[in-house]
Amino acid sequence: MASAQSNTEGSGEGRRKSRKTESVFSGYFPYPSAYDELFNADGSVRPEVEGPIRLLDTIGRAQFKARQRLADSAFLKGGITFSVYSDQRGTEKLMPFDPIPRLVTGDVWDRLSRGLVQRIRALDAFLGDVYGRQRILEEKRLPRDIVEASAGYRKQLAGIVPRGRVFIHVAGVDLIRGPDGSFAVLEDNVRTPSGVSYVLANRTVMKRVFPSVFTQSAVRSVDAYPVRLRDALGSLSPRKAGEDRLVVLTPGPFNSAYFEHSFLARRMGIDLVQPSDLFAHDDKIYVKTTAGPSRVDVIYRRIDDEFLDPTVFREDSVLGVPGIVKAYAAGNVTLANALGNGVADDKAIYPFVPEMIRFYLSEEPVLAQVETLICAREADCKRVLQNLGKMVVKAVDASGGYGMLMGPTASKPELAEFANRIRANPRGYIAQPRIELSTCPTWTGKSVEPRRVDMRPYVVSSGEPWVLPGGLTRVALVDGSYVVNSSQGGGSKDTWVLETSSS
Amino acid sequence: MISRVAESCFWLHRYLERAECVARMLGVNRLFLLDVTVAPEDRWLPLLTVTGEQSRFASLFSESAHLDGELVQDYLTWNCDNPVSIATCIQWARENARQIREVVGLEMWETINAIWQWLQNTRTRKLYYSDRDGFFRHVRDTVSTVHGVCHDTLLHDEPFDFMRLGMLLERAGQTARALDARHHMFGGDARDISAADAPAETAQWMALLRSCSAQDPFARWARGAPTRADIVKFLLKEESFPRSVLHCIDRAGNFLGRIRSRQKSHKGTELTAGLARIVEPLRYKPIATILEEGLHDELTRFISGLAEVSDGVGSEFFGPGLPEELA
Repeated sequence: MASAQSNTEGSGEGRRKSRKTESVFSGYFPYPSAYDELFNADGSVRPEVEGPIRLLDTIGRAQFKARQRLADSAFLKGGITFSVYSDQRGTEKLMPFDPIPRLVTGDVWDRLSRGLVQRIRALDAFLGDVYGRQRILEEKRLPRDIVEASAGYRKQLAGIVPRGRVFIHVAGVDLIRGPDGSFAVLEDNVRTPSGVSYVLANRTVMKRVFPSVFTQSAVRSVDAYPVRLRDALGSLSPRKAGEDRLVVLTPGPFNSAYFEHSFLARRMGIDLVQPSDLFAHDDKIYVKTTAGPSRVDVIYRRIDDEFLDPTVFREDSVLGVPGIVKAYAAGNVTLANALGNGVADDKAIYPFVPEMIRFYLSEEPVLAQVETLICAREADCKRVLQNLGKMVVKAVDASGGYGMLMGPTASKPELAEFANRIRANPRGYIAQPRIELSTCPTWTGKSVEPRRVDMRPYVVSSGEPWVLPGGLTRVALVDGSYVVNSSQGGGSKDTWVLETSSS
Repeated sequence: MISRVAESCFWLHRYLERAECVARMLGVNRLFLLDVTVAPEDRWLPLLTVTGEQSRFASLFSESAHLDGELVQDYLTWNCDNPVSIATCIQWARENARQIREVVGLEMWETINAIWQWLQNTRTRKLYYSDRDGFFRHVRDTVSTVHGVCHDTLLHDEPFDFMRLGMLLERAGQTARALDARHHMFGGDARDISAADAPAETAQWMALLRSCSAQDPFARWARGAPTRADIVKFLLKEESFPRSVLHCIDRAGNFLGRIRSRQKSHKGTELTAGLARIVEPLRYKPIATILEEGLHDELTRFISGLAEVSDGVGSEFFGPGLPEELA
């Protein structure tokens, strides 16, 4: 029976191949100005990724479409969604998913990985310093006024040392690839970076949709993430393993990343709690259980600092747990990420990260980063205002593609209005040249076309950072667009780290 | 476990059970009306009575609107203002599951999400109009699938116990209410019925059995011509029948016991006593006595006692755990 079945399958495969079908990538040609992740400028496949791309290509467009429908229905069935606040009825939306993976060879990845580990170690050391002795400020390697003006810098936390001296337990670092193919850091996210659940969910769906491509390409697994995160959190518990309680703290089911919060809690096998489930007593945190209050030791919190404790930060926060900061300061509860991390991923601090790497680690940075003008500096500000039409301007404390100006595509009134905003609050903005983001072949519904991508790898740390081999590749689904954020019409792709090498 | 999560477990299963019961009742009643001529008054009204929706329905539409079978079915299936409609129950079941996805696990979440998505689909609306029987059957089948997946994939620990407790309390109430509504229609006297002398009434009782998925089990159990006393006894007291009131309450007591055994304090003692109190008359009184003294009164006592126990579960286990308890 089994052999008869495999024979039938075999001949089906044969029939598909012998029939003349249009291959998936036929007619694909990259933009002339950008680096393409999978194809050379002359339209040929990059040799280092040829194996998997050929396999995908020969599936043929008809089959490819069918598999894409399968992927969509898998996302829908799994309820793999993000919430949209503005939408009244169907408050959940699917993250658009493109089934063509982004491929990175092992050697390129390993170098990236080294750079990310280095960067997170430096940022962690910076946080310890800035809330401690402030050596980097004393030695004037980083201007004090920029730190003190940062919205993420919280003076109240000076002198508080988190358990294990770890501030950054989870980081998501946004990387882009310029026209020459070299990676650069675009921004760091060391507060509550989201998206890792999509990395894992995308992979699950891809394995289901393209099993044969997987079996024939050695792709590094992303499955270890929840275990790594749980281990990292557990190792920083104030009480002994086995007696301690770890929880994920979510603002609630209406938060846009709720799927992720519940996904991570489920995969780590720990409780997902909402703020109203917790209370502080005697500088300890308790969760309300059916057997009465129970002590909580480690909180992977997905609520921003300013909402976390109405007695310390925003008084009007209804998402907070009053007293949690005192319990944290007393060392009775571990918060991941630590409090006050916002100063490290402030966009106006970002230009100084290479300096931090040199200062704290005595190393040269492995990863490049994007040249950044700080509007708080008079000379920089002047340059920005003179060249506004060529720059990308970002608010220093915003994320998700909000509060930003794309100079080259903005209208005259938009430019004028933004110039006024910068003049009114120079500290609030930084500017960068617009980088020609790399592209990746993307299915548009009819054919495959180049679309711009970035990539967010994830780093987990309890002292020694570990980089998840894979990451969230975000793609701007609109032709010519540079904006990849899911809140702004971006989609995602699976990122495959191949065991192969590019040389 | 976290109180809020326990509460969601409890209600998730209550809503699932409710959706299934409403679907079964509607499906059975439709087929029943195809078989038998019933006074217009008695065609759909009992369903509104069982679900406790009689007055809301009358005020939303009109006093005589229950004569419109399509309207009643639509109201009990789709109406979002109706707290017990299938659509509302599934919506709330899913919402409860969504809030505790990390507890129900992937497989169970996907089965619950699938029912919800199915109800949102326009093709399902078409199915409702083209194959009503198939529609109700699908609701029942998929809820059964959820129960199966739940039983076979979840840890049988505290969340599971709260789910079962919710399901069993709801089921006991549904059976009791279904029995009460049919009983009403015959004036509540104690004479025996047989297939020969009162065909319409027998059909009514058979419909009642079917609406509790009890037709085949009853046939195996009773063997002879069904009498009303037999049917009442079977639905109230037959411990081997999984939808009988006594069976449900006994099992609910077991799950409550498992929950209590994990407590450090004496939480829930009063609830166990409450459950024992409300089934005591059903367990010990002979069925003839119950019918003589009045089934309706007995069931009314039971249903209000059940509501108290239900509320008690809420205040004992889902209420706020406060610092005072930290002693």
